[in-house]
Parts: sequence; C-alpha cells; structure tokens
Amino acid sequence: MPAFLLAAAAILGLFLPQWLGGAATSALVVIAIFAIMAYGLDIVLSDLGEVSLAHTVFFATGAYATGLLATRTGFGAWGTLLGAMLAAAVIALLLGLLTLRLREFVFSLVTYAAAVVAAAVAHNWNFLGGSDGIVGIPTFDLSLGPLVLVARNDAELWPYAYAALLLVLWFVARFRRSRLGLVAVMAHLNPRLATMSGVDIARTRLAVFVLSAPVTALAGWLYAYQRAYVGPDLFESYFLVLMLTAVVLVGKRLLPGPLLGMALVLGQEKFLSFGGDVDAIILGLALILVLCFVPGGLVGAIRPLLRRLRPAPTH
Amino acid sequence: MNLVQQLINGLILGHAYALIAIGWTVLLGVARLVNFGHGQMYMIGAFMAWWATAPLGLPYPVAVLVAVAAGALLGLLVQAVMLRLTLEQNLVSIMIVTLGFGHVLRGAASLAFGGTPQVLETPPSLIEFELAGAWITAQDLLIVAAAILVFALLRGVVERGRLGRTARMVAEDPKLAQLAGIDVTRVYLAVFAFEGAAVALAAALVAPRTPILTSIGFEEVIVTFVVVVLGGIGSVAGSYLAGVGLGLFTALFGGFVSPAYTTAASFAVLTAVLVLRPGGLAAGRAVR
Repeated sequence: MPAFLLAAAAILGLFLPQWLGGAATSALVVIAIFAIMAYGLDIVLSDLGEVSLAHTVFFATGAYATGLLATRTGFGAWGTLLGAMLAAAVIALLLGLLTLRLREFVFSLVTYAAAVVAAAVAHNWNFLGGSDGIVGIPTFDLSLGPLVLVARNDAELWPYAYAALLLVLWFVARFRRSRLGLVAVMAHLNPRLATMSGVDIARTRLAVFVLSAPVTALAGWLYAYQRAYVGPDLFESYFLVLMLTAVVLVGKRLLPGPLLGMALVLGQEKFLSFGGDVDAIILGLALILVLCFVPGGLVGAIRPLLRRLRPAPTH
Repeated sequence: MNLVQQLINGLILGHAYALIAIGWTVLLGVARLVNFGHGQMYMIGAFMAWWATAPLGLPYPVAVLVAVAAGALLGLLVQAVMLRLTLEQNLVSIMIVTLGFGHVLRGAASLAFGGTPQVLETPPSLIEFELAGAWITAQDLLIVAAAILVFALLRGVVERGRLGRTARMVAEDPKLAQLAGIDVTRVYLAVFAFEGAAVALAAALVAPRTPILTSIGFEEVIVTFVVVVLGGIGSVAGSYLAGVGLGLFTALFGGFVSPAYTTAASFAVLTAVLVLRPGGLAAGRAVR
C-alpha cells in the first residue's frame, strides 16, 4: 500500500468513535489497549517461536507501576509511562536471564509459574494493595507546558490509545525488518544455521523477550488510567488466553493480525455476549480450534477460497 | 506447631503433591507431551467427586471412580482433538491448546457448578487420631497409601514393563515406532487418558483437605512443575522423592516463615534448581 493511503487510513481511524456512535467508544479504546498488549506477546510467539506465559505479568506490571507512581508519588502520565515500561523491562530481564538456557516447554513452564506466583504476591503484598488493589488513579494527563493533553473519559482517551496503537504497529513492522527481527526468525526456524552464521541465539532470545515487555506494559499503563483502578485481577489467565487467541486467530506474523484478532474476540464479548462463562468457553474453543484445525489462522483458511474464486492464471 | 508436627504434615502434603504430579511425569517421561490444563483438570476432578457424593449421594469410593472415569474421558478428548499436533510433535501449539482447554474447563465448571465454594466431605476425613502431637485423619493416610501404591505400580509398569518400553519408543521416535508396527495414536491416547485419570484420582483424594472452587488448580500446577523439574523430568522415582521433598519444604516454610507465600517459595525452589542445573533439565532427557 502506498504511504499516503496508509497515512490517510491512519488519520481516518481517529474519527472511528464519532462514526460508530457512543456505545462503540469504550469498546474501541479497550480493543486498542488489548491489541497493544497482544503485540508484545506477538513478537515473542510469532517471531521467536517461544510461548511466553509471563506477558500477563508485564501487563500487570505496567498497570501496577502506573497505579503506584500516580497515587503514592504523584507522578504525571509521562512519569508513569516511563516507570511502567522500565519496570516491565527489568522484570523481563530478570526472567529472561533466568530462562536464558531453557527451551520449549521448560521456558513456558517457568514463565507460567512466574505468572501464577506474581498473582499470589499481588494478592498478599500490602505494598501492592493486596486483594483490594490500588484505587483512585488520577486523570490521564500528558500536558506539556501550555499544551493541555487530558483525557477524562473513554472518548477523550481514544486519540491517545489509538496513537499508542499506531506507534506499536510501526514498532513491530520496524522490528520485523530490523537485524534483530530477522535474526530472531532465523534462530526460531533454523537454529543450527543461525549458530553457524555467528548468531548468539541466547542473546537474541533475551533481547526480543526484554523488548517485548515494555510493549505489553504500555497497554497496562493505558488500562490503569482507563479503569482508574489496578488490582490482582490483572493476573487472571483470561488476559493470557485473550492475548494468545488474538495472536493466532487471524494468522501469525501478519502485522494487523493481533489487532483484528482482538477486535473479533472483544467484539463478540461486548456486542454478542452470552455471559462470562459461555464467553470463556467460546474464547478457549476459538484458540483450540484454530490451532488444531486451521493452523494458518483465519487468513490461511480464507486464502484457498479466494484463490478458487479468482480465475486460474493462464500460462 | 512444633517441628515434628510440621514434618508429619509435610510428609502427608508431599505424598499429595507427588500424586498430583504423577500424570505430568508420565506424560512427559513417556510421551514427551505437556498439559498446561493440568490444574483445571484437577479442579474438574474435585468437582466431579463432590458432585457424585453430595448432590448424587453416592458413596465416596464410587465417587472416586466417577472422578477418575471423568478425568480419563477428558484426557482422551483433549488428545483426540489435538492428535494432529501431537503426531507433528508441535509442542508450541500443544502448550497453547492445553492452556485453552484449561480456560474452557474453567468456564464450563462455573456454568455447571456455580461460584459457591464446596466442601467434599468424606467418611475418612472425619476419622481423626493423634500422632506425635499432630492430628491427622484417615483421609491423610489414604493419600499417603494411594501415592505409594500408584508410584510402585508405575515403576513396575513404566520403567520395567513392556508397556512402558513401547511408550518410550514412541516418545523417542514416533515415526520409527510406527514402522515397527506400534499403533502410535493409541499410545498417545492412552497416555493422555492416564494423565486425566491420575490427576482426577489425586483431586478426589486431596481435595477434601481444602474448599473446592472453580478458580483452584493454579497452585497444583506450580506444585506439578516443581515436582517434575526437581525429580528429573520424566523420572517416576525422582518425582516421588521430589514430591515428598517439596511437601516437607512447604510445610516447614508455611509453619515457620509465611503461609501466604508458600507458592512463591516453591517457585524459588524451582528457580534455584534451574539455575543450578539448567543443562540437564533443558534437554528434558534426564532419565530414560
């Protein structure tokens, strides 16, 4: 797509809430936030080929850092943004160093265990608000000098969530074309070739893992302001299954994939809900069925149909 | 509580842990498979046992059988759905799919059993007696006896018997095993049915100790991970020792340091093991 078309589409997206009406606004904001969350996991799962189950921790870390800094030290949104991303990167670095030499399921097992333990800690540690969490997070305020940038409700938050989403899309696209992104894919698909080409696989994995954490933490930062509350429910396995489903539903290594996947899942939950329990079953089933029967994702399933519709090329 | 009491407590807890983890041990050691829905299968097993005793009024031994049968069916179902992934040895997708199954099971359990905590009351848990100052129940003894029995049986079957040899051959090289005339699909289905049945048995025996909620199962997963990794991935005897060791550690930590952070402490143990011997564990071939 030519650059100007992309730019035009990007600008049009800003007015989506006006077109879709008031009810859609909060859904759009949440889709943008959770899509950002999924993109962090996307580069680990799709490019590196590892299943990190600790991304809920990075999401919650972003939200908790925001909540703590905003309510206890009076940091503004810029300060909490920096704090959220930094805190997630530090935790990712520690977890990454710990799992540096672990592969496949042992890596996933440790990241999963880390997520469960983090949830237990958040429930019990008074410093983090315990089971009550942190309430009274102030209004989102990114004002710079005379420039007033405040968001008091979902409609006002949309431009910021949308801008953050575009930024993350740009970042993931750039990452995929960067040396690190290419090396990550090589280390995933052909580790022997990567080693022979002088690639330090362990370092590559660590770099991608640490890089992915602040992306997911960015979503946590926005979510803390959107809900004005941070609590241990952020560690719920719901978020993990949500992220995984968004990443695999439409098709792996497809730039708009996680965004579209998240829009499909949350669209169902917001506008076609059958109650929390049935929605949980639907979400889990979507994840299972796609991986077991449509490994290429929805795009992979549609592609052969499209090809059949098109007339066969003449040679 | 004094040290002796905590030690007795730890021994009981340890046998419970070993029993909870045995399905994963076999899954991993025999078929090189994993199941991240293990905790939710434990939860379903506990609810099935409760459902069979309280609303249906069946005697406890029958309820245990009901739970075990349900667990085996569930295991079969999971494996039947993801059979293609198993045959491809696509561990990445298997991990995510089993996690998805866990999520579905939780949703289904909330739908079927609601949000009220239930208590599985069994006749043996009412029989109490004192042992060196610690109060233990017949249920506790049942757990210990069941764990020892299951591990002894498995050691005979998996590590010495012909069945175990066949399954290990499948784990080592599924394609070669198929050429040798082994029905690989059946082995995978059987191993997963065993995983489901074993965790349900553990749930039916251990769950009377705590309230049953649809949100339980996460602690059991951590316990399973620690036992499997600590015991040397896939080793039956190692798992037993690791389970008992972890039980003693948890009881002592919970009794003398902090009961709220026992899961975190188990994770610290896991971390320490992985840092100390990452090579041998990462390969996943500690014991053959």
